[in-house]
Amino acid sequence: MQTRRDAAILWLFLILPVGYMVAFVGYPVVYNLVMSVQDVTLGNLATWDRPFVGLGNYVELIANERFRLVVRNSVIFVTVNVVLQIAFGLAIALYFENRFPGARYMRGLFLAAWMLPPLVIGALWKWMYAADYGLINYVLESIGLSDGPIYWLSNPDIVLAAVIAANIWFGTPFIMLLLSAGIANIPRELYEAASLDGAGAIQRFRFVTLPMLKATLLAVACLATVYTMRAFDLIWALSQGGPIDASNVLPLYSYQLSFEQFRFGGGSAVATFSFVVVFIVALLYVRTIRHEKAM
Amino acid sequence: MAPVNIRDVRKAFGHVEVLHGVDIDIEDGEFVVLVGPSGCGKSTLLRMIAGLESVTSGDISIDGRTVNRLPPKARDIAMVFQNYALYPHMSVAENMAFSLRLKGASRETMHEAASGAAGILGLGDLLARYPRELSGGQRQRVAMGRAIVRDPKVFLFDEPLSNLDAKLRVSMRSEIKALHQRLRTTIVYVTHDQIEAMTMADKIVVMHDGVVEQIGEPLELYDRPANLFVAGFLGSPSMNFLNGTIRAGGDRAEFEVDGGARLPLPTAPAASDGRPAVYGIRPEHLLSDAGGTDAEIVLVEPTGAEIHVVARLGNDDVTAALRERRPYRAGERIPLVPDLEHVHLFDRDSGRRL
Repeated sequence: MQTRRDAAILWLFLILPVGYMVAFVGYPVVYNLVMSVQDVTLGNLATWDRPFVGLGNYVELIANERFRLVVRNSVIFVTVNVVLQIAFGLAIALYFENRFPGARYMRGLFLAAWMLPPLVIGALWKWMYAADYGLINYVLESIGLSDGPIYWLSNPDIVLAAVIAANIWFGTPFIMLLLSAGIANIPRELYEAASLDGAGAIQRFRFVTLPMLKATLLAVACLATVYTMRAFDLIWALSQGGPIDASNVLPLYSYQLSFEQFRFGGGSAVATFSFVVVFIVALLYVRTIRHEKAM
Repeated sequence: MAPVNIRDVRKAFGHVEVLHGVDIDIEDGEFVVLVGPSGCGKSTLLRMIAGLESVTSGDISIDGRTVNRLPPKARDIAMVFQNYALYPHMSVAENMAFSLRLKGASRETMHEAASGAAGILGLGDLLARYPRELSGGQRQRVAMGRAIVRDPKVFLFDEPLSNLDAKLRVSMRSEIKALHQRLRTTIVYVTHDQIEAMTMADKIVVMHDGVVEQIGEPLELYDRPANLFVAGFLGSPSMNFLNGTIRAGGDRAEFEVDGGARLPLPTAPAASDGRPAVYGIRPEHLLSDAGGTDAEIVLVEPTGAEIHVVARLGNDDVTAALRERRPYRAGERIPLVPDLEHVHLFDRDSGRRL
């Protein structure tokens, strides 16, 4: 029998998380959605009395050349980051599975990159990318791979690649850590059985590691997508999205619209685009996790 | 089918040596069981035969060819693991035919091999299932099927029945034995269970602390254990050991148990009067009969077929497995008579049979 007191406690424990979600997640999301269909300026920001413009902000965005460039950049930035972070992360995780002396310490060192604030990493890479005194140009020139300075961050054709490289360096260790945990969960006997069945190293990877890691890989891909979708500070420190938006991505553009041009409606509309993508990926992630548990 | 020869094999992990020079000859088609308590090195030895552990020194040869440096896949052996090690993402048929797939066999060949093995093991209806949809016993059979498909020179079994419940274990025991009689392939089988060893083996290798204690046919080991370890390890309930001294002064020999009681001996070893020794007698070879040695009952355990009576004899407790149904009571005194044909004497220091 459930007493009244039990019921009260149940309600309390239900209301606490739901209330938290509504206040700190639901409200901002809805507020953003509302702003995206209004014409919000500095003048009316403090009031609720804002002109309703329907999908005006969205229509304007889609017609905007600049926005389309930012979307294109974002797609490239996220796709290349996710693919290469997982590829490198998996390669490094597998490498550290060979338990050579010092493997654990070296793996710890790799994590250092992930422990630094993105702003610091951006500043470091900015120095390394510097055209005249940067480390990267110095190395390339001294081994004869280039005969003049490469303008990594001021050439619109290569700035996105430069920013992507820095973000891969920043994100890979965490991916490696997640994949290492997944690899550690694969029973050793499966590898032993496979090598008795005649599988070499490549076949063991193909027929044991990959299928056993499938769920983990999918979950990690979702996480990596969400993490790179929201990349902001590293790019801010490196290039501020420039030159001429060549390395601009959605969150940065949303910030610039809202807080540099004070076009809050437009900024909110950009944020809504990001939100929809992240939300779909997050749903996929939750599904993957649930599937993994059911296995 | 092939003989397996193990010559002075040693294994060290770092500075710790776990196998101290093991010699075993396994004949073509023989069913050999390596048995011993956990940590005796039996699994390590099996994994060395498989090529999953390196050989520190000595030689392992299969079919006359030294395999020390060969990778597992080049040794032509198949292994059944304790937790089955089935590939969870492959169906039963795919699991069994995986080795053929790696060799690039055709779809028909793989199907034929898988259904052939499934037929032998009664898995015909389960070929499309996945391991997670199978019971423990069925998984065990699939693991065996995977080994059969390989048609190897030697089958290796690493405690294959430990994860099954008691009843299933007994039936799988006879299935594996029947399988061996059908295929006639050399089998090396590791277990810690002496009953599995006794019931299945053509030849038992008893191991302890990284050395071979004794090799022989099951009943040979049971009837004439070479030392105290083998005597105590085989048989359940295990052999009774009594510390005492051999008395061979007059016309008949006797054993004086520390703490007083006297037990008869068939014969005494030459010049052994006064020699300290261990008197070994199995519970089923102790009878309760008039004129026996007086002992006080400590504990009574009926098992159904017989009644196990634990009684105090001198300083030691002995167990007698009595077939006679009678209400024995703790505290009661009964006379115990050993069957003289089955008395074992061991040296007290070395533990060796006298």
